[in-house]
Amino acid sequence: MIEEINELVKEGLLKEVGTIKPNRELYEFSHERIREIFKQLLERLGEKGFYLATIVGTDILKDKKIRLDYYVVVLPEETTIVLRTYVDRDNPEINSILDLIPAALAPECEIHDLLGVVFKGNPALRRPFFVPEELVEKGIYPLRKDARV
Amino acid sequence: MQGCRAVAIDKVIEVPYALEIPVGPQHPALHEPILLKAYADGEEVVKVEVHTGYNHRGIEKLAEKNSFYRDIFIVSRVCGICNGVHANCFVRAVEQILGIEPSPRAKYLRVLAMELERMHSHMLINAVMAEIIGFDSLFMNIMRDREYIMKSKEIVTGNRVSADYMIFGGVRRDLSSDKIDKLRKLIDRVIPRIKYYKKLFMEDETILKRLVDVGVVKPSEATLYGLLGPVARASGVKIDARASDKYDAYGEIPFNVIVRNECDAWARMMVRWDEALESAKIIKYVLDHLPQDGKAVPDERRLPRRFPPGEAYTRVEAPRGELIYYVMSDGKPMPYRVKIRTPSVHNILNTAKFYIGYSIADLPVILTSWDPCISCMERLTIIDLRTGERRKVPMKELAGGGKKWVNPRYSL
Amino acid sequence: MGKSKILSLILRNLISKPATIQYPREKPWVEPDFRGRQYSDLQKCIGCGLCRIECPADAIAMKKIPGEYEVPKKNARRLFPVIDYMKCVYCYRCVTVCPVRAFTTTNYFELADTQHITSEELSLSTLKKKAEG
Repeated sequence: MIEEINELVKEGLLKEVGTIKPNRELYEFSHERIREIFKQLLERLGEKGFYLATIVGTDILKDKKIRLDYYVVVLPEETTIVLRTYVDRDNPEINSILDLIPAALAPECEIHDLLGVVFKGNPALRRPFFVPEELVEKGIYPLRKDARV
Repeated sequence: MQGCRAVAIDKVIEVPYALEIPVGPQHPALHEPILLKAYADGEEVVKVEVHTGYNHRGIEKLAEKNSFYRDIFIVSRVCGICNGVHANCFVRAVEQILGIEPSPRAKYLRVLAMELERMHSHMLINAVMAEIIGFDSLFMNIMRDREYIMKSKEIVTGNRVSADYMIFGGVRRDLSSDKIDKLRKLIDRVIPRIKYYKKLFMEDETILKRLVDVGVVKPSEATLYGLLGPVARASGVKIDARASDKYDAYGEIPFNVIVRNECDAWARMMVRWDEALESAKIIKYVLDHLPQDGKAVPDERRLPRRFPPGEAYTRVEAPRGELIYYVMSDGKPMPYRVKIRTPSVHNILNTAKFYIGYSIADLPVILTSWDPCISCMERLTIIDLRTGERRKVPMKELAGGGKKWVNPRYSL
Repeated sequence: MGKSKILSLILRNLISKPATIQYPREKPWVEPDFRGRQYSDLQKCIGCGLCRIECPADAIAMKKIPGEYEVPKKNARRLFPVIDYMKCVYCYRCVTVCPVRAFTTTNYFELADTQHITSEELSLSTLKKKAEG
């Protein structure tokens, strides 16, 4: 358990939910507050205190949501924690954290390309990034569950 | 002087501020498709854009459409060089969901296969680096000695490159004692060679002139930009999933995490040489301490067919850095979501900034020093596994220089 | 100095035997348990098709055994797996998952061949033809 994260939980920014195997602490937050959370992390842990490992986007078709998991590795013990949020599937928008943490470039571009989530404030978003152009013209986001590729 | 007159300026020739130079998509330093669009002011690089999408194979979607068992072999085709770690990471994620654990012997054998992979991967990128800076004889010597490792891998797993060694609950073939003796001999032959090459990288003027103080990454930048593996460790950031997650048998095997503070391309190559030596040590430890208890090879006909719902997130220290698999199962025979985050994604895409200020000639050097693996990074659309595999294997063949390979004079 | 060291290595390499081999004329040494070309032994095969389901490369198709061959009774449906060697990735999943261990494995690796593109011929050669008349 990391103290700084505990403080964020007490302040109500994060909510403890459980764990992902093996022993990754899982926290939920509402997607409007993403920039606030990462600003706090930068302030409390410092630039060298953590890195953003990846963002995992999952299409949850039955709830009409897209789930975004921010995996943060806290140094020096390398404890991985998961910050989870949901965005609306029909209007997937979330603020970008690219200017705070440059490491978000690769995962944000990838998720925009494959799932269609718009990261507001990220100037590098573009299609095609990975996906071939035919799919882009048809407006298909390949990793959505109803996409036929 | 006569004839020397003052001329009034009536014309101004505008020189464009920056010249656009495409590096790639064919063979930008490495023989894999990526386009670095470099903008140069004179000799100096002022901006670099990384363009991708030449080789996306959609393995994540493909994994969602195939059963867990088929996925083991599909994910190990993500990358030719590091196929064992990919399979290991996926297999361990599913093992977490299933709640099964391999025997101690199987865990040691997994470590053995993965460390052999790390050794040959590090030797390869060091050889490619030698070739990039125009040191072809060194390249050929390293590649020759790398063959010993490829042979050891063939002895352990049954194939030089594609190991297909991992299965839920263990490994797919055991190691007999005469094979262990063979491996010992091969490793003992390689260790002095690696030490020699390491010394060469430390002393040779050509190498030092090209690599030292090129592509500097500060420690705080390494974490902010999410750089991983040898790139981060050469900048003094001590991250190693082997040491922190202690997966498989790494908790029981003593080894050092190599960290350097020079922060430049040279330090990254040196970290790789030191790690190759460290891997050799781990391999020797595994061969000496291979546990006898427990069956290493599970009967694949009796493995579970039902997968409970659940999610797992596993990390592996691949040769290029931290490799992440996120597997989510919803109780069906196919996974609901497989997310693959390879170290190359961060090390290639996030590093456009670090070329700025160096000359054009340094560009391939810096790119190579990330140890980029394009096939790791791009995974989409065509489901032709055959070509998927073949595409990556030739990297080492191609790195020999296409023409030289068929030139009959080469063997003289 | 490093420079003189690599120079001596280069000179030594110049007079020593080449490290490469003249491949088609000289064969490389391949381990006996290298994962090479595999085919099913139809004396053992029961035609269940599990290998077809499990193949990660979709390289296996189930085919009917031609009428002129004698087929063991346990293979009542007279089906047998045909591996397309051009698609196969040689992971040996079919070998390990087979319920009757019917696959014969070899370390044969020279697969650029005009004759054995599939395993059909090799598999059928394990069966006897029916006696005439």
